[in-house]
Amino acid sequence: MVQLFSSPCYVFSAAAILRAVLLIYGSFQDAFSPLKYTDIDYYVFTDATRFISRGLSPYTRDTYRYTPLLAWFIYPTTWQGWWFSFGKIMFAIGDIVAGWLIFLILRSSGKMATDRALKFSSIWLLNPMVAQISTRGSSEGLLGVIVSALLWAVLTKRVRLAGFLLGFAVHFKIYPFIYAASIIWWLEDDKLPSKKNSSPARSKSLTQLALGFINPARVTLAVYSLVTFMALNTTMYYFSYRYGYPFIQHSYLHHVTRVDHRHNFSPYNTLLYMNSSPTGHSSVKLESWAFFPQLFLSTVAIPLALAKKDLPSTMLAQTFAFVTFNKVCTSQYFLWYIMFLPFYLPKSTLLRDKSTGVTASILWVLCQLLWLHQGYRLEFLGISTFVPGLWAASILFFLVNIWILGIIIEDTGNLGDPALRKVTVD
Amino acid sequence: MRQRITYLIHNPDEFDPSQLHVKDDSFTLESVNAAKEHRLTFSLSELPQELYRVLRQCHELHIRWVTETPYASIPPFVSRLSPGLHAFFTSHKGNEADLLCPLLKKVFGDDLKCESPKDTFIGIPTLSERFSMSSASQYYQILPSLKNLITYIQQKICTSSDTTCHSAAASLLSAAYLDIDYDTISHALVLNAFWACSPTGNTWTETILLRQRAETIEVGVLGSERAVDEEDLAFSGFLTVIGEDSKPKPTRFSFPSRHHPLPFPSQPHPLTYTAYFTHPTGLHPTLHLTFPSSHLTSPDESCALHTYLILPSTLFMDKYQLSDPLLLSSLNLASLRSISGATDLEAPDWVVSQWGSAALLELAVPSSAPPANLHIHNRHGHGSGGNQNHTISIPLHLRYLPPSHSTSTPGLTTTSLPWPAVFWACRAEEAGAPMSVNPFDRVNLGYEGLFGPKTMFYHVPPSPGRGEGRLVEEVQVPVLDMNRAGGVEWGTVVVVLAGVGWVVWKLVEVVFVGWRGMRDGKRKGEGKKVQ
Repeated sequence: MVQLFSSPCYVFSAAAILRAVLLIYGSFQDAFSPLKYTDIDYYVFTDATRFISRGLSPYTRDTYRYTPLLAWFIYPTTWQGWWFSFGKIMFAIGDIVAGWLIFLILRSSGKMATDRALKFSSIWLLNPMVAQISTRGSSEGLLGVIVSALLWAVLTKRVRLAGFLLGFAVHFKIYPFIYAASIIWWLEDDKLPSKKNSSPARSKSLTQLALGFINPARVTLAVYSLVTFMALNTTMYYFSYRYGYPFIQHSYLHHVTRVDHRHNFSPYNTLLYMNSSPTGHSSVKLESWAFFPQLFLSTVAIPLALAKKDLPSTMLAQTFAFVTFNKVCTSQYFLWYIMFLPFYLPKSTLLRDKSTGVTASILWVLCQLLWLHQGYRLEFLGISTFVPGLWAASILFFLVNIWILGIIIEDTGNLGDPALRKVTVD
Repeated sequence: MRQRITYLIHNPDEFDPSQLHVKDDSFTLESVNAAKEHRLTFSLSELPQELYRVLRQCHELHIRWVTETPYASIPPFVSRLSPGLHAFFTSHKGNEADLLCPLLKKVFGDDLKCESPKDTFIGIPTLSERFSMSSASQYYQILPSLKNLITYIQQKICTSSDTTCHSAAASLLSAAYLDIDYDTISHALVLNAFWACSPTGNTWTETILLRQRAETIEVGVLGSERAVDEEDLAFSGFLTVIGEDSKPKPTRFSFPSRHHPLPFPSQPHPLTYTAYFTHPTGLHPTLHLTFPSSHLTSPDESCALHTYLILPSTLFMDKYQLSDPLLLSSLNLASLRSISGATDLEAPDWVVSQWGSAALLELAVPSSAPPANLHIHNRHGHGSGGNQNHTISIPLHLRYLPPSHSTSTPGLTTTSLPWPAVFWACRAEEAGAPMSVNPFDRVNLGYEGLFGPKTMFYHVPPSPGRGEGRLVEEVQVPVLDMNRAGGVEWGTVVVVLAGVGWVVWKLVEVVFVGWRGMRDGKRKGEGKKVQ
């Protein structure tokens, strides 16, 4: 085990082998069993790609809710034979690249020794859940590489690249827009090498503060991300008259208007089912206000309070809050924050205080199992477990997540701030 | 009004022409054991205004109602449809036909789920426009009985003193199926009812009266014969035009037929099918169709076994799931040939405006080993012991249904699925007259348009054995139990708000500690400077 973490070579080989084994195993299972290893989403992507290859819109495929770029990206899947797995291979490679970027960030920004950095990168690289999701052909892993590249670009002061990646990530899957707030807030003057000797904050008036907020880095990031985002959207919209409105509808509007009634981990689920149906009228117009706590916490409160202390941990807290408070929550969404764990865990209470860490992980898993059990009874045994079963399980899971989020916030608050750290050292 | 009444003798050997009595203005049968078809043709002027206004909006309208009770079919009335109310409809160009749904509700029952043809009806896919013989859109609704129609006829069409009309309408209660056809070309409304046997269960003893000289009533009493050509049906018996003929005229004729019974030396053929769900059904019920393997032999090399499923909107089929050859063969399915209608994979039932969907599936049959070897070679058989059954499985999915306030079955709602139609579809030879010369031809059944015009259907009857004698399967659907959901609303809100509060508190703590630390740090720093 110690040997494994002595060289990046070993860890990355292990990560590659893990994915290769899963890919090969998966193609055998697909070929010989009616029960497929490949994720349903992957069939959606490849069907959409096939429509593209026939000159049709990818939205001809029901439930294709992504940018046309994704379908174009896996275009070779339309070629015969083994090419079908092309997309999965790309997703798996994306996974590994994301792992590499995590490793780089830990080494450079986290100032970690190689073996320690490798150990923490392995939370992503050697995580069977991560490897399985990408080799089954879910595109969430692809998002991992975009977001980790974004973080890497920001931390290494490649602001223009960061802006581009941010715009691209938002085009690809909306939710990364929450990172704009924390990155912008984090990009203060003294984070940039050129403006090290600015005047002390105390002497600034309010207007000066406001003007001071608008620094070149922030403007660059905003402009680059916005231009990228809009350019991609415009291209997708005008690229072909066929994509036009369906592109906007399926990639963006769907997520605003959707009432996802099918059971999922979200605490809102039962209430949404009740509210959206004609018989179960409810007085709370939940659809309209459910966005508020989610967006307030993940795009305003958390970035403002934490971003200047530690950017990666802030992004973890943001993502965690976004997923926890989302109207729809499935296990693929957990991948969105697992990516940030390697940056946060080394300095966390969860690792330092064994009992807290173990309790948190046991509760997190236990609540999911509880929910899954209720879900199984509903889905396969036909027992009406909506209330109290599923509802209670999702509420418990929500509470556990909130508790963990509190710990993450507390830990992140104790980090970073150089002034504070100096004081405590004194 | 013209009438054609056809009796099909169950057992020609038992029949004697002396059971028929022809008079000047009447025709009497005495204890004739037969099935009966009664066909009434109305010209538009004979119809009430209300009906006429609706028909004027239609290019063609075909209504099919089939009983839920199993019945025995007899040539030429062998075609089958799922039990319930079907409507096949083409509007006049540019006409929304806004009167059709209100009329259907008025005639067949207020609880019909029918908004307008545009919202509720589903399109019927056609093989090619040129050969298309079917209507453009399709409607379906579970309907156990024609009670409402009978009341409608008695109140709107019969005059109050006309007892014959009242009892004729009431006799529809025991009909096995009823067809109502209208199209602009014929400009007539044809009502066609079929009884598999007499309502009393035994034999027909009745008198048909010619009440007006202008009327035409033609009565046929026929027995099925063996046809020379396999694609033909042949009959012999007696035809009488009441008021014209003084005695039954013997007749013998044959014609090419679209619909056939299963070919077998003796009737009924032992091949039947049974439909059922495996329990628990959960949210993904699997419908099974079983056949006795030993009788599952194709009528001809060109034939393929099919099933035509009518799925009310509560249930749906995932066409993407059914595209994998391995999965299909594990279910004993050959392919999903056609699916149309409400096929959205995510929508809950209450946002689906269409009545549901219709699917045509080709079924896999055991490899054509001789019956004796079936036990060894039949890999698909799921039965045990000597009586091998061939079972095919059709994976279905339930939509979310509205929460229920019911206290008798808390948290459960029942939905129904009519048994599908099952048939061998075979290629007919080009030779001979077209099938439409058949005086008993039956089209607009939903599925025949999905095949070429030269297709023959050998119908497999449902087995009456299983279930409660109903050709409708029921599924219990788990739904949110509103009686226990009282706390959900405020519970969720309180928990979410508490969650927000907790997170905000943690953030405030961080900001406050940071701010105090900064202030203390500065003070210390200042102190140091002073020192």
